[in-house]
Amino acid sequence: MKRIGVDVGGTFTDLVLWDDDGTVTVHKTPSTNHDPSIGTMDGISVLAEQAGIDPSEIEMFFHGTTVATNIVLEHNGSDVGMITTDGFRDLLHIARKKRPLNYSNYQDLPWQKWQLVPRRNRRTVPERIAANGDVITPLDDEAVRREVRLLRERKVAAIAVAFLHAYRNPTHEQRVKEIILEEYPEVFISLSSEVAPQYREYERFSTTALNAFVGPKTSTYVANLARKAAEAQVGEDVHLMTSAGGLVTSRSASEIPVSLLTSGVVAGLLGGCAIGKASGFPSVITLDVGGTSADVGVAPDGRLRMKHLLDTRIGDYHAMIPMAEVDTIGAGGGSVAVVDEGGMFRVGPRSAGAYPGPACYDRGGVEPTSTDAMMVMGWLREDSFLSGTMAVKPELAVDAIREHVAEKLGTSLEKAAMGIFTILAHSMTEAISLHSVRKGYDPRDFSLVAEGGAGPLYAWQIAEQLGIPRVIVPGHPGITSAVGLLTTDIRYEVPTTVWTSSDEPDLALIQSEMDRLASEAGNQLRADGIGEGDVTLERSVDCRYVGQGYELRVPAPDGEITAEWVQQVADAFHEAHGRTYSQRFDDKSVQLVNIRVTGVGAVPHVQIQEIESGGTDASAALKTTTRALFWERDSAEPIWVETPVFQREKLLAGNTFTGPAIVEQFDSTTIVGIGQKATVDKVGHIIIERASA
Amino acid sequence: MSKDVMPTTGVSLAGEATRTWNDVDVDPITLRVIGGALDSTAKEMAQVLYRMAYSSLIRESEDLGAGLFDVNGRELCESDSTPMHCGSIPAYIRGINRRLAGTYKPGDVVLHNHPYHGAAHSPDYGVVIPIFWEGEHVGFAGCTGHVSDIGGNFPGLCMDVVDVWAEGKLIDSMKIYDAGVRNDSLIQHILDNVRTPEQNRGDLEALIASARIGEKRFVEMLEKYGLDVVMSSAERWMDYSEEMLRSRIRAIPDGSYSAPVGYLDDDGKNRDVPVAVAVRVQVEGDEVLIDLTGSSPQVPTAFNVPFEGSVLPVAVSAIRTILLDEAVIDDYVPQNDGCFRPVKAYAPEGTIFNPDFPASCFARFSQVNRVFDSINLALAPVLPDHAVAGSSAALCAIAYSGLADDGESYWVYIEINEGSYGGRQGKDGMDAVDTLMANTRNNPIEELELNHAMRALRYQLRDEAPAPGRWRGGIGSHRSWLMLTDTFLGSEADNRSDAPAGALGGHDGVSGSFVRNAGTDREEVLYSKVTQEMIKSGDTLDIKMPSGGGFGDPFERDAFQVLSDVWDEYLSAEDAERDYGVVVDTETWTIDEEATDRLRAARAAA
Repeated sequence: MKRIGVDVGGTFTDLVLWDDDGTVTVHKTPSTNHDPSIGTMDGISVLAEQAGIDPSEIEMFFHGTTVATNIVLEHNGSDVGMITTDGFRDLLHIARKKRPLNYSNYQDLPWQKWQLVPRRNRRTVPERIAANGDVITPLDDEAVRREVRLLRERKVAAIAVAFLHAYRNPTHEQRVKEIILEEYPEVFISLSSEVAPQYREYERFSTTALNAFVGPKTSTYVANLARKAAEAQVGEDVHLMTSAGGLVTSRSASEIPVSLLTSGVVAGLLGGCAIGKASGFPSVITLDVGGTSADVGVAPDGRLRMKHLLDTRIGDYHAMIPMAEVDTIGAGGGSVAVVDEGGMFRVGPRSAGAYPGPACYDRGGVEPTSTDAMMVMGWLREDSFLSGTMAVKPELAVDAIREHVAEKLGTSLEKAAMGIFTILAHSMTEAISLHSVRKGYDPRDFSLVAEGGAGPLYAWQIAEQLGIPRVIVPGHPGITSAVGLLTTDIRYEVPTTVWTSSDEPDLALIQSEMDRLASEAGNQLRADGIGEGDVTLERSVDCRYVGQGYELRVPAPDGEITAEWVQQVADAFHEAHGRTYSQRFDDKSVQLVNIRVTGVGAVPHVQIQEIESGGTDASAALKTTTRALFWERDSAEPIWVETPVFQREKLLAGNTFTGPAIVEQFDSTTIVGIGQKATVDKVGHIIIERASA
Repeated sequence: MSKDVMPTTGVSLAGEATRTWNDVDVDPITLRVIGGALDSTAKEMAQVLYRMAYSSLIRESEDLGAGLFDVNGRELCESDSTPMHCGSIPAYIRGINRRLAGTYKPGDVVLHNHPYHGAAHSPDYGVVIPIFWEGEHVGFAGCTGHVSDIGGNFPGLCMDVVDVWAEGKLIDSMKIYDAGVRNDSLIQHILDNVRTPEQNRGDLEALIASARIGEKRFVEMLEKYGLDVVMSSAERWMDYSEEMLRSRIRAIPDGSYSAPVGYLDDDGKNRDVPVAVAVRVQVEGDEVLIDLTGSSPQVPTAFNVPFEGSVLPVAVSAIRTILLDEAVIDDYVPQNDGCFRPVKAYAPEGTIFNPDFPASCFARFSQVNRVFDSINLALAPVLPDHAVAGSSAALCAIAYSGLADDGESYWVYIEINEGSYGGRQGKDGMDAVDTLMANTRNNPIEELELNHAMRALRYQLRDEAPAPGRWRGGIGSHRSWLMLTDTFLGSEADNRSDAPAGALGGHDGVSGSFVRNAGTDREEVLYSKVTQEMIKSGDTLDIKMPSGGGFGDPFERDAFQVLSDVWDEYLSAEDAERDYGVVVDTETWTIDEEATDRLRAARAAA
């Protein structure tokens, strides 16, 4: 089978064509941001040509896109109208009424400055549902019709419908949908009871409004791409990656496009999981370093963890959707180094980006960046940028670091360059530590997967700092996200709020809701044409101690809902609470807040193939040697070392070498530190073992 | 305690530290790395606390603080949660040290809430753990959080109480763990004397967990870098924050800047007798003094302010916010002891800002927030680019409580209603948000309705037009509750009968109000500070929060902005014409350009 993964990022579109016969073809092309489907389809043509096949031979098409994310970050979504409960017109405007910054009179409240729905289009109607689902005030159909007509006159492209307690009783929202379909059938509709059927009104309303805000443009994009793919006979349907790390069909992505937010970074984590598994190390920490930012993820046993509700944000907005835990920090190749007015040495989060870019790019950038530091340290050479096809000027890097850092700190050029690197590596270390050590996971049980063009430049040092025993550098670090698209399943998560406690569990309610969710998840998969044999259902429950305010998600067993089932869930929660907060209270009763069923439709995953093997001697891959700066420990003085440079494509399974060493390939460079041992494993991944391990 | 121990002027604890380490040079990279580690430790402590806590004030409102401190209580780092808590923990530690210095052992955990010995106020429990390394006491991890009830005269909040013993149970430097041994009977005694023992127990565990995480991370840092390097780095970061602030203060011309004397509604007992807040900002070189002389004598209710735990933090927060506004400056300036060094505060003894023991000082937030607002107003003429018109600048905390269905236990729910900011140079005031020293989250209505017998009828912006200005004032919120059971009501708030001040030609803001059974023949306006008022099942309570003052001449406001406010129903067409000189054609809902030009030109000529 031939399948293709296309990951569209802000700068580049990465493509990978995977043939089960073992042929893997990769391609990287600039993204076409005005209409990403152009770059995608053109890239597919180029890739097919490279592989010597016709695009119509491609059987499955997997896609990760930042279209929805960019709409949110750039505040350029559609005009949205909202229908909501009388008396609650401004919930989106008040939000959680907490300022993003403590010490600032001049900040903007993002949800007020960049409103998802302007007040004039937030329309209220008489209706009210109680916390138990009872109707207190019936819906006024005529008022709804009046408001829908007004929004039609105002030509909104989407309507969000969000009523209090609709997660418990969706009938009023459903009735509004019927009226909209009668009055304004072409508008995009987003119901809170469909998009995020869980309690907490602001987060649910915000998610529903976000869905409406990105909806028309995203669904147009998805439909467009699906049509072009169909015309080119590429795959049966476009499958898109969600923020939860599952795939959805183009139909589902068009209905709930909010689920596509942040999907790109999740694909990188999934790719890392597949890479770790292929090398025999399923527990991975992934580090994907690009030009402006780094994404870090932690997957114990190759399983994704979901974010805490308070952390599921996109830009400045809350989105109550399942999001795999991946954290993005402002540290990348373009991160700018400064000595500030108080004399502190800082690197990032500000980035020089691609334009003006690092000083050595000679595009007008004069501030030193981490890429310039690596140039000075000899890790990046003139001909290592896209294999020498991109011109750079090392002397500009030297000037920038000397003037802006070394002279201001009164230190040597070498120490300044090393400092830029070390400070940036430490900020990545902090981020990883936050998601591992501080969540109860021991980095010594993990492997660090180096992803993105720049990940393999940093990973060796971070492994030393955190005590991670090994780094895995995949064959094509730069396209790990595209590979990740090929390694997961179709997943639909359906949640609901049950609000019952382990003391007096409402078993009948849990059972009936579980059954309902299971049938909804099953229906989604059936609608996508997944055969019964390929469907599995996973359960999870969001729990907290009775009286607490926030939940932790725990997996829940299959089978009939009994007192014993509840006890198993409670036990899993005690354990999770103990790991997360280092305290557990086994005598306290547990509140079961939300239950979730995820329908999983199995998709055959790609297998990373073995490569040709050679002996331990790597000298056949030796390209040259170069003078480069290294250090024994990060507190030691840096020294210049004549360092071997290997060509990645020529390394064979079994080859070993010790650091310091540099490995170059088209879009990435790998560093092996002093005393570290590198081995090419049978699937072609470079395994770098920690020196002090 | 004797009065001579009470500080009469605000002082940092800096300089008093007996060094137990050697000053060493730290390379710039290690310095940066340790700075990052300190910062993320404080954040992690706060996260553990609010995600695991029970009291809605801690978990939703993040009414908490957490950080690491040296043996003298100097702040090495602190979480960015509620500014009111930031900077109060050093005073807790000073209070604890006065009793326990020299007796600390590894494994001790100390609980404290005494408002005359450093606590911000008594419901803010503080948990402090002495940190030991290589057998030596090297510092503290500490955190504070506002618990639901502390067993005072009234559930949750109190206003009309006779003294500090009536406001709640005082805990003065109690070791709840002594050398690792938990004192269960002491903890039980504490919990037996509050109305919400289960909640307080959960909060106490969360406070302990938070402080322990801080202790653990600090020890990890020491193991990695050693005491000398860590402490020398912390010193350097404190000096950094100090110097950043001093350099900004130096840029302000020396002088004495006073805000107009402001008046709070009353003291909660002597009705309609306003309480004066006088604020003068004295700038000399690179130092600032906040002088509160002229403010009201102390009052016979809980409406007084602990000097150390509350007045000092507000002086520092205000100056830091104005001069190092996080949205304006690029560099991250960490909150630590250095921020305290250039800023001093003074309040004469026996006044609301420096009361004599044993006056109650439970309800102190509205007064200190007003001090912040007055500092903004005082400095507006010399710092026009940093100026803000008057904000709601109160804290509207309302406690709802009652006996639970079992007839034995209490339910207590404390809600903090948001306010709004005044207009700013180039920007409208922020609507419906916590202001100045407050920065808390609201509780989901859907959660409250699941937990308590109350139903929300309304939660949206006020209908009254915002304060006109070239940059209009922010709009307060209007919340309305229907009680489904007989409910006790207590409040500490200030509804700004003295409305938020307009600035540089902007109009004054709009006062707030509490009304029972609004729109019925039983309608009744309540005072902003009530003690144990009964709201019957079926009664409603309408809470309108003040709207901030306008900034600049409204006739200079961009006409399209005015039209946009009309479209959004913030303004009527009449408001637009009268207050802004913008004539809106109510047929087409567009600007009548000609009539607008005429009206605005006539005003300019007048």
